[in-house]
Amino acid sequence: MITLQIDNVSVTVPEGTTLLEAAQRIGIWIPTLCHHEALTPYGGCRLCIVEVQEGATTRIVSSCTYRAQNGVHVSTCSDTIVALRKGILTLLLAEVPQSPVLQELAELLGVEHSSTFAPRNDLCIACGRCIRACREIVGVQAIDFAFRGYKRVAASPFFERSEDCIGCGTCVAVCPTGAIRLHDIPAGARVELSDGRQVEGPVRVIENWKVSFPFKRCSKCGEPFAPQVQLEYFTKQAHLPADFFDVCRECRQ
Amino acid sequence: MSSHQTVTINTNTHSHEPPSLIALLQKIQEVNGYLPQDALKQAAAEHGIPLSKLFAIATFYNAFSLIPQGKHIISICHGTACHVQKSENLNAHLARVLQLAEDEGTSSDLMFTLKKVRCLGCCSMAPVIKIDDTVFGTMTQAKAEKLIRSVEKGMPP
Amino acid sequence: MGFAIQHLTELKKKGSATLFPDTIKIMIGVASCGVAAGALPVMAAFRQGATEKGLPVMITKTGCAGMCYQEPLVDITIPDKGRFVYGRITPAAVPAMLAALQNNDIPDGALFRYSRHECLLDGTITHYPVPDKKNSAHTVPLMQTVPFYKGQYRLVLRNCGFIDPENISEYLAQGGYHALATVLNKKTPLQVIRAIEQSRLRGRGGAGFLTGLKWRICYTTDADQKYIVCNADEGDPGAYMDRSILESDPHAVLEGMLVAAYAIGATKGYVYIRDEYPLAIERMGQAIEQARDAQLVGDHILGSSFSCSISIVRGAGAFVCGEETALLKSIEGLCGEPHQRPPYPAVAGLWGKPTVINNVETLATIPVILTKGARWFSTIGTKKSTGTKVFSLVGKINHIGLVEVPLGTPLRDIIYTIGGGAGLDRTCKAVQTGGPSGGCIPEHLFNLPVEYDTLAHAGSIMGSGGMIVMDNTTCMVDVARYFMTFLEHESCGKCTPCRVGVRRMRELLDGMCKGTASEQDLYLLEQIARVVSTASLCGLGRTAPNPVLSGLRYFKDEFILHVRDKKCPAGVCNNLITYGISLSRCTGCGTCIKTCPVKAITGTKKKPHTIDTSRCIKCGACEEVCPVAAIAPC
Repeated sequence: MITLQIDNVSVTVPEGTTLLEAAQRIGIWIPTLCHHEALTPYGGCRLCIVEVQEGATTRIVSSCTYRAQNGVHVSTCSDTIVALRKGILTLLLAEVPQSPVLQELAELLGVEHSSTFAPRNDLCIACGRCIRACREIVGVQAIDFAFRGYKRVAASPFFERSEDCIGCGTCVAVCPTGAIRLHDIPAGARVELSDGRQVEGPVRVIENWKVSFPFKRCSKCGEPFAPQVQLEYFTKQAHLPADFFDVCRECRQ
Repeated sequence: MSSHQTVTINTNTHSHEPPSLIALLQKIQEVNGYLPQDALKQAAAEHGIPLSKLFAIATFYNAFSLIPQGKHIISICHGTACHVQKSENLNAHLARVLQLAEDEGTSSDLMFTLKKVRCLGCCSMAPVIKIDDTVFGTMTQAKAEKLIRSVEKGMPP
Repeated sequence: MGFAIQHLTELKKKGSATLFPDTIKIMIGVASCGVAAGALPVMAAFRQGATEKGLPVMITKTGCAGMCYQEPLVDITIPDKGRFVYGRITPAAVPAMLAALQNNDIPDGALFRYSRHECLLDGTITHYPVPDKKNSAHTVPLMQTVPFYKGQYRLVLRNCGFIDPENISEYLAQGGYHALATVLNKKTPLQVIRAIEQSRLRGRGGAGFLTGLKWRICYTTDADQKYIVCNADEGDPGAYMDRSILESDPHAVLEGMLVAAYAIGATKGYVYIRDEYPLAIERMGQAIEQARDAQLVGDHILGSSFSCSISIVRGAGAFVCGEETALLKSIEGLCGEPHQRPPYPAVAGLWGKPTVINNVETLATIPVILTKGARWFSTIGTKKSTGTKVFSLVGKINHIGLVEVPLGTPLRDIIYTIGGGAGLDRTCKAVQTGGPSGGCIPEHLFNLPVEYDTLAHAGSIMGSGGMIVMDNTTCMVDVARYFMTFLEHESCGKCTPCRVGVRRMRELLDGMCKGTASEQDLYLLEQIARVVSTASLCGLGRTAPNPVLSGLRYFKDEFILHVRDKKCPAGVCNNLITYGISLSRCTGCGTCIKTCPVKAITGTKKKPHTIDTSRCIKCGACEEVCPVAAIAPC
């Protein structure tokens, strides 16, 4: 077990616990963005930074990746940290000012939108949650980062139709800025995509990965309920009988 | 941080030195002159690597090109020593000569690709350009243009 | 070990014979600088000419002697006459030189001569004859008196420009691999580590971390596999020390790696060389091959129980891969994304195994420390910065080249004595050190001794050794913009402060150079700089604002002029300058009229010409071609 001080409160945690987890145990809130409890820590957004004093040195580290060490003193909201978090969020908010998640964080941290800099067209803040989710939870690795630096963005290979995507939508669920555009288009309906194309239902479209998946229709009620490809993937992964997903969840109950 | 503490690191369960994907891409580019989409797709399928990972690596590093390059590569050095000797003006001039829309790119006749590099390490002769494997120093706009014209005519640089 | 040592002794003898032959010896510098300056045709001319004349000469390759501004360099030793060095030799000059040699004469025009050669490692001194008083060559200055070499201490560069880098026997003849053999035979790994700790050697890649401590941390970490990595990803623009060392004396680096491997318990080593250095890759590859043949690399080195294999990994072009954790990712074949420490590579590095990463220059220093002793080494330099440092002295300086001085040498000595001052009667304004992680030291601080702590205190860093001299035609705002542009391009993009912050800083600086910025922008620039320097994940991000912050610290007036008055006093920022033709100087030759790509210049023959500033695109072509320097920006 490791014993350390967080904001002058002593806490004992199992070895391997991160500072973020340790703080959460004693009810201390640290803002996060790229962190997700179901995904491996990334340490990229730098919102969760804290000051760690180890002996004579004080360092600023991301609490989501730093594993607790014996005897360290952690400060989660010193003046320096608060000022830095504001600075980081100011930069991010200017990137995607319309993101509800960023706006909420801005309100919590007392940050105002600055229009000095042009926002990003693609709404992506390179937090990597979609990529990690696709790799670690879904297991298909359909997407990854393209480029480096400011141009860095989550992308399908060659920015073309991802052939590995199964249309499960997990990436959409974890994206904090709404950068991933998913449309479930019902039968008979028609939607115009952001590139001007018109698509007819019943189909699931994820614009960013240039994929569109026809829905599987329930053999009982006839309603389209999930992308065909996704169901085929789950059937294979879990070694289920081929007709397992012929009937939708409602009809099965 | 204690320097006397002995820490045991667990061995990985799979072969702990998997082949380098960078080396794979370097080989593909060596053979093709660039990284063709089909070659990457084939490599991904053959080696069981996610295509998204190959694309991530291919777009991360300066050395890789996803589009065909010109017959001759002109590298213009933008190291600090070359910069203070007006490499930006030299670059602009060469882009004009090759009729490129930007500072870097490939001429429409696919003869030349102009790219920025930092740094070639020949600072005593700044500003420096490299045409294919040969380095040329103490360049001026006029000298560089003359060189390109002679390479165009088929004379070795 | 006996058989292997005997083999090495034989090779050593061979090396001595080629280093000090009985015939005329002509050495030509063929490191990248020399080759770029045209050394290969010069070598070919010597070879061909000597054959045609039937002249018995030994013509060999050598590496970088440091005097890059005089390349191609030719070093000629004539038995009974002496050893002379010639500079800026072209193929056209060769016949006359060969004719002189054939005539039993000393070719004219030598830059300097050697009276002796001292082998640093074993102390052997070889004397060269002195030219006869009646011979004009008697007045050729001695190497020790040449300003460029004054105050230099060529310790790491001990073999550069003297041995043939492609010949292991010459390396052996100069005391090479003696340290490795001694260490394997007589020292335990812990004793080796203690020696390096005692020497107080600090990493020469830039961070200046104590090398001995790094080795000890790795040594005390238990694992079934450990690695030694040589960081040859020298990415600082303007710095080429590591390249020269790899091309001129690869075995020095190899020997250092093997000693390090022995000390930490590594059985595998990687030399990570950047993609842009093909000659370095080739020479290191040859060195590894030769070392393998001599049982110095691979299984049971020199018959001992120590085995270590070494391979080369070629980079793919990313400055961030000079950062240790990113470099490891790159060796693993992935994107060069750094990760926060801990864990430190010495504890968990390549594929999770304990790994020591050392810079090229650091490793090349190791054999010297272990041969001459840690105490001896620690008396060179200063208490906290022991030893020497190699610098690439470039930019607006007369003597551009590679210099090596004891740490603690005043900057003034390097720039004015060794460097010969700024070019063309201009005055030095500042020296940029530490590359994109460093800052500018202004002229009034040139008395500062060059060592880790004093440079850091002045707002820069030692860095890998790039020293770029700037004069009054260098715009400090443009320099800050240049470094931010570089870092924006090279940022890996993982963390917000660097990915977004550096980009924003670059945009603000663009505005300052274009004349569209306000004084508020200066304030914003400093605000963002603070976030980037404190909250970034890795060293690249944390040091990225240094060039800007140091520019603001010492040259605030230039920034204010750009931002408030929209003026560029150095005459660099295109949007803020106008090109004009001096009425008094212009001879009306018309060269500029022909050169101007937008036909902005008019004038009749022999009458002063004028530039239509509304058409002028500030490309600078006219200034370049004007034969009487009548055109300048203002």
